[in-house]
Amino acid sequence: MKKKKVKKKIIDNVNNRQQTHQPLCIREMEFPIKSTVDKYQLLPAFLKVRGLVKQHIDSFNYFINCEIKKIIHATGNEKVTSDVDPNFYLKYLDIFVGEPCVEQDYIYEPITPHQCRLRDMTYAAPISVDVEYTRGREIVVRRGKEGKQEGALVIGRMPLMLRSCRCVLSGKNEAQLAKAGECPLDPGGYFVVKGTEKVILIQEQLSKNRIIIDTDSSGNVAASVTSSTHERKSKTNIIVKHERIFLRHNTFSDDVPIVVVLKAMGMESDQEIVQMVGRDPKYAGILAPSLQECSALGIHTQQQALEYLGVKKLLSCLYTGLLGVLQVDEARDILATVVLAHVPVHQFEFRPKCIYIAVIIRKMLEAMLNTDAVDDKDYVGNKRLELAGQLLALLFEDLFKRMNGELKKSVDMTLAKANRSTQFDIAKCIRPDFLSNGLEHAISSGNWTVKRFKMDRKGVTQVVSRLSFIAALGHMTRITSQFEKTRKVSGPRALQPSQWGMLCPCDTPEGEACGLVKNLALMTHVTTDEEEGPLIALCTTLGVEDLSMLSGEELHSQHTYIVFFNGIILGVHRRPQRFAETLRKLRRAGKIGEFVSIHVNPGQHSIHIASDGGRVCRPLVIADNGVSRIKEHHMKELKDGFRTFDDFLREGLVEYLDVNEENNSLIALYEADATPATTHIEIEPFTILGVCAGLIPYPHHNQSPRNTYQCAMGKQAMGNIAYNQLHRIDTLLYLLVYPQRPLLTTKTIELVGYDKLGAGQNATVAVMSYSGYDIEDAIVMNKASLDRGFGRCIVLKKSVTALKKYNNRTADRIVAPDMNTSAKGGVQVAPRHQIQDRDGIAAVGEMIRPGDIYINKQSPINTRDNVMNPQAMPDSAYKRTPQTYKGPPGECAVVDKVLLTSNDENHFIVKCLIRHTRRPEVGDKFSSRHGQKGVCGTIVQQEDFPFSERGICPDLIMNPHGFPSRMTVGKMIELLGGKAGVMSGRFHYGSAFGEPSGHADTVSAISETLVNHGFSYSGKDFIYSGITGYPLQAYIFMGPVYYQKLKHMVLDKMHARARGPRVVLTRQPTEGRSREGGLRLGEMERDCLIAYGASMMILERLMISSDQFQIQVCTKCGMMGYYNHKLKIALCTYCKSGENMATMKLPYACKLLFQELQSMNILPRLQLSEA
Amino acid sequence: MDGGSIPAPPEPVTYLCGDCGADNTLKPGDVIQCRECGYRILYKKRTRRIVQFEAR
Repeated sequence: MKKKKVKKKIIDNVNNRQQTHQPLCIREMEFPIKSTVDKYQLLPAFLKVRGLVKQHIDSFNYFINCEIKKIIHATGNEKVTSDVDPNFYLKYLDIFVGEPCVEQDYIYEPITPHQCRLRDMTYAAPISVDVEYTRGREIVVRRGKEGKQEGALVIGRMPLMLRSCRCVLSGKNEAQLAKAGECPLDPGGYFVVKGTEKVILIQEQLSKNRIIIDTDSSGNVAASVTSSTHERKSKTNIIVKHERIFLRHNTFSDDVPIVVVLKAMGMESDQEIVQMVGRDPKYAGILAPSLQECSALGIHTQQQALEYLGVKKLLSCLYTGLLGVLQVDEARDILATVVLAHVPVHQFEFRPKCIYIAVIIRKMLEAMLNTDAVDDKDYVGNKRLELAGQLLALLFEDLFKRMNGELKKSVDMTLAKANRSTQFDIAKCIRPDFLSNGLEHAISSGNWTVKRFKMDRKGVTQVVSRLSFIAALGHMTRITSQFEKTRKVSGPRALQPSQWGMLCPCDTPEGEACGLVKNLALMTHVTTDEEEGPLIALCTTLGVEDLSMLSGEELHSQHTYIVFFNGIILGVHRRPQRFAETLRKLRRAGKIGEFVSIHVNPGQHSIHIASDGGRVCRPLVIADNGVSRIKEHHMKELKDGFRTFDDFLREGLVEYLDVNEENNSLIALYEADATPATTHIEIEPFTILGVCAGLIPYPHHNQSPRNTYQCAMGKQAMGNIAYNQLHRIDTLLYLLVYPQRPLLTTKTIELVGYDKLGAGQNATVAVMSYSGYDIEDAIVMNKASLDRGFGRCIVLKKSVTALKKYNNRTADRIVAPDMNTSAKGGVQVAPRHQIQDRDGIAAVGEMIRPGDIYINKQSPINTRDNVMNPQAMPDSAYKRTPQTYKGPPGECAVVDKVLLTSNDENHFIVKCLIRHTRRPEVGDKFSSRHGQKGVCGTIVQQEDFPFSERGICPDLIMNPHGFPSRMTVGKMIELLGGKAGVMSGRFHYGSAFGEPSGHADTVSAISETLVNHGFSYSGKDFIYSGITGYPLQAYIFMGPVYYQKLKHMVLDKMHARARGPRVVLTRQPTEGRSREGGLRLGEMERDCLIAYGASMMILERLMISSDQFQIQVCTKCGMMGYYNHKLKIALCTYCKSGENMATMKLPYACKLLFQELQSMNILPRLQLSEA
Repeated sequence: MDGGSIPAPPEPVTYLCGDCGADNTLKPGDVIQCRECGYRILYKKRTRRIVQFEAR
C-alpha cells in the first residue's frame, strides 16, 4: 500500500512537470485524494451561501421581510386613532418593501445601484402598506396586488442594501451584472445614499437579557441585566453594599433592599426566599443581613413592601398629587413591566420574576464564595453583534411611531374643525418624505438617534473605502465596539481566546482603536433572530419541567439543571445531557434552526438555549467518537456539483457552533489529531484569519505584529478596485497600471478574488546593501523597471459642478469659452479656455494644466430679488464662477470623462474625472505583504544594477537590515516560493498553517524545485556588480516578492514655501499644504534655539519672517498710539500728544493680543528701555 | 490650434448616451435625457483635436 502511494506520487510529479501549462482545474483532478479527507472544498461552498458579507445581507433581508412586519403589527403601532372622533381609525394590515425605483416626472423608473452612484441619488425602494381606515362613514381598505405598490399606500422610501433580496443585483449572473454596470466580485452589503456608498458597521455590544456577574470598583460582586424587548429597554443592577443585597434601577431614587423587592412581588415568607436562593447554609449565611434589614424596616407583607417601594420610586409626573393606593399600584406596575422587563409578567403573576431574581442572587452568592464564577465581560459568548438590519429596524420603528404620532395630530386637527368642505381622507395626509428623509439622513450622517431608548450613537456608518478591492471587502467585515476609546483598560482590547475562529486575531488598527475595532474571520456567520414559540414548546415536550410547579428545593437540587431560553428561565430538567443531546440531534436533522445553540454549563447547573440574533458562530465538521462524518465520497460529490454546503448541513455532517456551545465540544484541529472524545473537527485552520490577514503568505512564520501591520497596509495598496473601475466616478481613485496576481498565493486569495483584482506587482528583489540610499527601510529601484511600468499608477480625481437654481427663478449657466481678440484682429479662444468645447465644458482627452478652466460656469449676481425674465437675463447680470483645475504645478493631467446628468431633484450636474498617470519617484511608499514598508530611496540606471549569471537584474534592492529585528521569515519563504514558482511555472501556495494540509508548500519542497532548476537551495544567487563588473563577495538572496504600492506619494505631500499667503486676522503665514502654508518653527524648535543662544535667529524666525509690524508707543503711558500721515507725527490718543512717542517693531499677533485684552478692559502697558 | 480666424458654423456639441450610445444634442434648459432610450446619463465625446502624450 505504502509503496503504491509513493509510486503514484512520483508519477504525479512527472505529470506535473509535463503538464504545467495546463489549466489549474484539470491538474487538481489528477491529485490523489489524501487519506485524511481534504475538506478545503467546503470553504468555497460555504462562502457561496454564508460568510463575509452575507451576514449583512441576511440581517437586512430579515428586517425587510419579517421584522418590518412585526414592527407594524406591534401593539401601539398597528392602529392610529383619534381623540376627537372615536369612530375613526387607521389600521395597518401589511407592509411591503418594493423594487428599487425612483419617481421622475410622475413616472416610476427602475434604477440600478450604479446609476445611483453616478447620479448622486439614493438607491431606495418604496415602502407600501396595506391599510384599512374610515373615511366619513365608510370603511376603506387599500391593498396592493401581490406585493406590488399599485393600490397600496406608499409611506416612504427604504434605502436598499446592495445584493439584498430586493436589490436588482440579487440572483444575477456575471454577464447580467456587467450589464447593470456592476462588478461581479463586489461583495455588496452596503447602501448607496446620495451617490456615496455607505456601510453600516457591525456594532459589538454586551448581550441583552443575560445575567452578567461582575465585580464593581470596590471589589463587591454585582449583577447586571440589560433587558430589551420591543416595548422597553431597561438596565437592572443587583448590588452588594455593606454585605446586604440591593436592587438598583433608575426608576427608584435609591437602592432598594432585594428582600423588600421579593416581598413586594409576593414572596412574603423568608423561608421561601432562602429556599429559592438555596438552602445550603453557606448561601443562607450571606443572605442573613439582607433578611434582617427587611425585618428591621418592618416590612412583612406584600402591601407593606409595595408601600415602601412606592415611596422610593422616582416621582412620576402623572400621579404626584395622589398618595396611598395609587403609589402601591404604580410600584407594582414598575416591578411588573420595568424591572427586568424581559421576564414576562402576565396579570401580575410575579412567580417567574421572583425565581429569576432568586437565580441572580444565587449566582451572585456563588461568585462571592468563588471568584471564578464571575463572568468575563470580554468573553465573545457574552457579546452580540448588531448588524445593519437590527440597527435599521430600531430606526424605522422610531420613525414609524413618530410618523403615526404626526398623523394622529393632523387627524385630530382636521376632525376637530366643525364643518369641512371636503371629506377627510387620511391617505392624503401621509407624507412619505418623513420616513425617507429620516432613514436617508441617518445612513448618510451615521447619527443614530432613537429617543425612546435614549440611543444616540455617532459614526455608525462609514463611506466604503474604495482604495483597493480588499479595503472595500475588509470594510464589510469590520466590527466596532461601543467602548470609549479613551479608557485605559486593557481588557476589551486584549485578544480573547474565545475569539478563535470567530474574529481575526491579526486585523486590528494600531493606536487609539487598537483591539476595539475587530474584523470577522473567514467562516464566521452572525445569526439573525429565530422564532421562539416552537422552540419553547419543543423544550416542554422534551421534558423541561415548568417553573410554576417548582419550589426552591427542586430548583436547586443536585440533579436538576435550570433551562434558560434566550435569557428567560423556562424551567428545570433532570437529565440535562440527554436533553442537550436530543436537541442537538434535532438541530442536525434540520428540525430546528441550524443556528440554535445549546450550551450545558455544569458549573452553574444550567442549560442555555439561544436562538437570538447577533451571536457569532462558525461551521465545524461533526465527529462521532473522533471519526469525522465527512468521508471522501462526500467531498467528491461536492466537487462534482452534486452537493452544496447546505446538503452537508442538512445531512448532519457539518453544524454551526456559537462560542458558548464550543465550550461543550472538543474540537480537533486535524482529523489525525482526533481522539475518541473529539466531537468536532475544524474545516480548515487558516479560516481563523480574516480577509485582510488571509492575503499574507506564510503568516504563521511571521512575528505577529508584522501581520497586523500588513492588514492595515493592504487596505492602502493600489491596484484594481473592481471590474467596473473605469465606469465609476469616485472622488479619488487610485489604480495601478499593470496590476499582477501574486506569484505566491494563499487559498484565501483565491476565495475572495484577490487573484482577479490584485493590488501589487511581483518584483524581483535582491536583498543586499546598495548605494547607501537604502538605509532605514528605503529601497533602491531599477530605472528600467520603472520605464517598463513597475509601480506606475493612475490617480483619478472627480469634481462635481451642480448648476444651482435660486429662489428668484434664476439659475447658474455654462457658457461658451471666452474669446480674446489678438493683436492682429483675429478672435482666439482665451488661453485658459482652450480645452473647452463650444459648450463651455472641457473635451474628453484634453491635457489639462493647473489654472485651466474646464467648466465655464456663470452665476447670477442677484439671487434674491425677483427678476423679470430669468431665462433672458443680460450677460452683465452674471458673474464668472468657473471651475479651475488645481493640481500639482508642472504636472499635466488628462480629462478622462465628463458626465452630464440630473439628480432626483432635477438639478443639472456635471461630473469631470481628471486622470493623472504617475511613475514612481523618490519618496513614494512601497510595501511587501509582510508589514515591511519603505520609501523609494533612489532610482538607479539598470546599467549600474547588479545582475546574475543568467542576466537577471532585480527590480528593486532591499536592505538586509530589514530582516533581523522584524523577523518576517514569511517574506523569505515568499521569495523562495516565488522563485520556484517562476521556474516551475506554477503558483505556489502559502496559506496560513497550511503545511500539514498541503495548502502551503514547505521550504524543503521549494528548495528541491530550485535545485532541480539549477539554483541554490537557499535561494541565493551568484551576482556581479553592475558598477565594477566583478562578482560580488557574497551570494545574494534574490527572487520575486509581491510588492504593493501604497497610496502615500510624495507628489501629494511635497511642500515648500518661501513667501506666500498670510492669515488676515493675525498676519501670520497660513497653515497646511492645501493653503500653501508655512513650515512651523514650533515650541520645541524654539527651545533648541534658546538653549543654543541664537537669539537673533529666534527674532528672525518668529517675527521678521512672519508677522513683523511697526507700532508707535507712548513711553509715558505705555499705550499704543498711531502715526498721523497728514501731520507726519506719531500721536498718543491717551496723552493727546506726540511728545513721548517711540517706534518699535513687534509681531502683529502680539499687537492683536494687546488690543484684544484692551477690549476686555485689561490694559497692557509697554515699558520701553534703550536697546 | 483651430480656435481662431474661421468663424466656424456653430456645430452643436453632441453627447453620448450612457446606455444606448446614441448621439444627443442639448440646449440650455433641456432635460438631460437620451432621446432614444430615455437614459438620464450622458457623456461628452472625445476631443477631435490631436493630443500628444509624453512617453515617460
